Amino acid sequence: MTTTARIRVEHVTRVEGHGNIVVNVTDGVVEKCVWQVPEAPRFFESMVRGRHYSEVARITSRICGICSIGHTLASVKATEDALGIEVSEQSWKLRELIKHAENFDSHVLHINILAAPDLLGAPSVFPLVATHGEVVARALRLKRLGHEWGSLIGGRTTHPMSIVPGGVAEVPTTKALKQLREQLLAAVPDLEATVATVLALAPNVPAFDRPTEYVALSNDKDYGLYDGDIQSLLPDGTKQRYPVAAYKQVTNEFVVPQSTAKYAKNKLDSYAAGALARFNNNYDRLHPEAKQVAEVLGIQPICTNPYMNTVAQAVEIVSDIYESVALIDELIATGVELEPLVEPTRFGSGTGATEAPRGILFHEYGYDAEGMCTGGNCIIPTNQNHNNIQHDFEKLVPELVGQDQSEKEMELALEMLVRSYDPCISCSTHYLDVKFVR
Amino acid sequence: MRYLVGVGNYLAGDDAVGPRVVEHVVACGLDRGFVAVDLSTDALSLVAYLNVGTEAVLVVDAAHLGLAPGDFRIFSPDEVETQKELSGLTTHEGDVFKVVELARGAGYPIPPLAVMGIEPCEMGDRMTLSERLEERLPAYAAAAIDHLAGL
Repeated sequence: MTTTARIRVEHVTRVEGHGNIVVNVTDGVVEKCVWQVPEAPRFFESMVRGRHYSEVARITSRICGICSIGHTLASVKATEDALGIEVSEQSWKLRELIKHAENFDSHVLHINILAAPDLLGAPSVFPLVATHGEVVARALRLKRLGHEWGSLIGGRTTHPMSIVPGGVAEVPTTKALKQLREQLLAAVPDLEATVATVLALAPNVPAFDRPTEYVALSNDKDYGLYDGDIQSLLPDGTKQRYPVAAYKQVTNEFVVPQSTAKYAKNKLDSYAAGALARFNNNYDRLHPEAKQVAEVLGIQPICTNPYMNTVAQAVEIVSDIYESVALIDELIATGVELEPLVEPTRFGSGTGATEAPRGILFHEYGYDAEGMCTGGNCIIPTNQNHNNIQHDFEKLVPELVGQDQSEKEMELALEMLVRSYDPCISCSTHYLDVKFVR
Repeated sequence: MRYLVGVGNYLAGDDAVGPRVVEHVVACGLDRGFVAVDLSTDALSLVAYLNVGTEAVLVVDAAHLGLAPGDFRIFSPDEVETQKELSGLTTHEGDVFKVVELARGAGYPIPPLAVMGIEPCEMGDRMTLSERLEERLPAYAAAAIDHLAGL
C-alpha cells in the first residue's frame, strides 16, 4: 500500500486548456483527490446577445479551435430551430460530411499526438520522431487529410464559413467530391497501420473499470454523429431517449468549489460523453468496417474503462472514412448544386445538438422579431465530463494506493485518465516568443 | 503555390493579428498570386501546405520580439530560438516553430518559410485588436504581399 503521496499537477499537459490534479494520501488514507478546472469563464452567451442570427455561429464557433465545426453545426441547428428553418437533404448530407471531417481530424490529433506518448513512454510527441518516425509521419498525413476534407466542405476547417443558417453557402464541385473520395480511400492503409499501432499499444492501456452513465446523440438510422435525440445508457443496459429541447433535464448543471467549470449529472452521480459514450450507445449502427476494427481492438459495448475512450476514437475514425465515402456517393449520384438558403419562417427560441469529437454539444438561442439574439446557452462536452473525471479519480486513487504505486506512477495514471477524455477546456493565445540568434 | 498563413486566437486581442491580416487581404481582394489561409489556432495544419511544389510560405503571427508594439519583422525560423516552454503540441499551446520542427523530423519538405512577427500591444479576452495594430492592418498586409511577391 502507498502510505504517503502528495501530487500537484498544474497544469496537466497535452490537453487543450488548463486543469489541475491534487491528491493527498497520508498513512494510506486518501485525504484529498480532486480534478480542478481553474480557467475563467468566457461568457460567449453574453457575446451573442444583440447579434443578428447570421452572426451567431461565427462567434460561437470561436469557443473552440478544434471543435469549431461542431460548435458551428450545433449553433446553426439551434438558430434554424428557433427560426423555423428546415434545410435540404443536400445541406444535411454536406453537414454530415464535414462533421465526419472534424471527428477524424480531432481524433487523429488526440490518438497520435496527445495520447500515444503516454502509451509509448514518451513525454511528448517530439521524441517519437526519432523512435517512431513513421507513426508521427502517418499522423501528420492523416491530420492533413482531415484539414483538407473539412476545408473542402466548410471553406476552411477551423471556423468554417459555408455552414450558415438556412443551408450551405458554397458547395463543392462533383470533381472535388470525387477527388476527396479517392483521398479517403487512399488513406485506408494509413488507417490500418494506425489500428495496428493502437492494437500493439493496447496492453499499455490501464485496466480500470467504473460503470457510469453514457450520454450521446442517437437515432434509428445511423451512428448519430450529426443528429439525433439525446440517449442515456446505464451500466445495466437501460436506455432512455430525450428530445434535444429537453437537454437541461439531462445536463442538470451545478457548481462545485474546486472548479470554475460547471459540472453535470443525470441519473447517476455523473455521466460520460465522447467517443466511448457514442460507441456504447450506438454500437448497433456503427459502420461494419468500424465494427470489425472494434473486434480486432477488443472493445465491445458496454465498455466501462474510461481509458478506452482513445480506442473508441480509433474505431470512429474508420467509421468516419467509410460513412463519408457513402455520403459522397449519394451526393454525386444526385448531383450537387448551390441552393438558395432557406429563409426564416418565425422568430423564437430553439435548441441544437451535435456530437463534437469530445461528446454531445448543446446550443440554445432566443431571437426577437428582428432576428437579433436575445440570449443563449452553450453546454460543451468537456464540461459534462468533468464530474465523471472527478468520480473516476475517487475510485482510481484508492485502487492505486492499494497497488502500492509510487507518486510518479499515480501521477501518470491520473494524467493519462484525464487525457483519455481528450478534454478541451479552452483556447489560448498562440503568439511566438523568440530571441534572435542570427 | 505561395501561401500567406494567419495563426492566432481571434478572441485574444492582438493574438488575432495573423488571422486578421489574412481576413483583410481576402476582404480587399488582394490575394492574387498566392493563397491566403486562416489557420486560427490550428497551427498543426500548417503541414497541409508543406509540399514539394510549395514556392513559399509566410506565416503571420503575433510575436514577442522586443520591438515597439505594432512594429513587425519578417524572419526565417533559422534566425531565432523560441523562448516558449511547451509541454507538448496541442491546439491550445504550441507554435509554428514546433510544427515545422515536427514536420521536418517526419520527413516533410520544408519550403522557403518565413514568419512575419508582429509585436502585440494588448493580449487578453477581447474580440478586437488594439487600436495601434488595427490601424496598421493595411501596412501589415502590404508588407506581407510584398514579401511573397519578391521571392
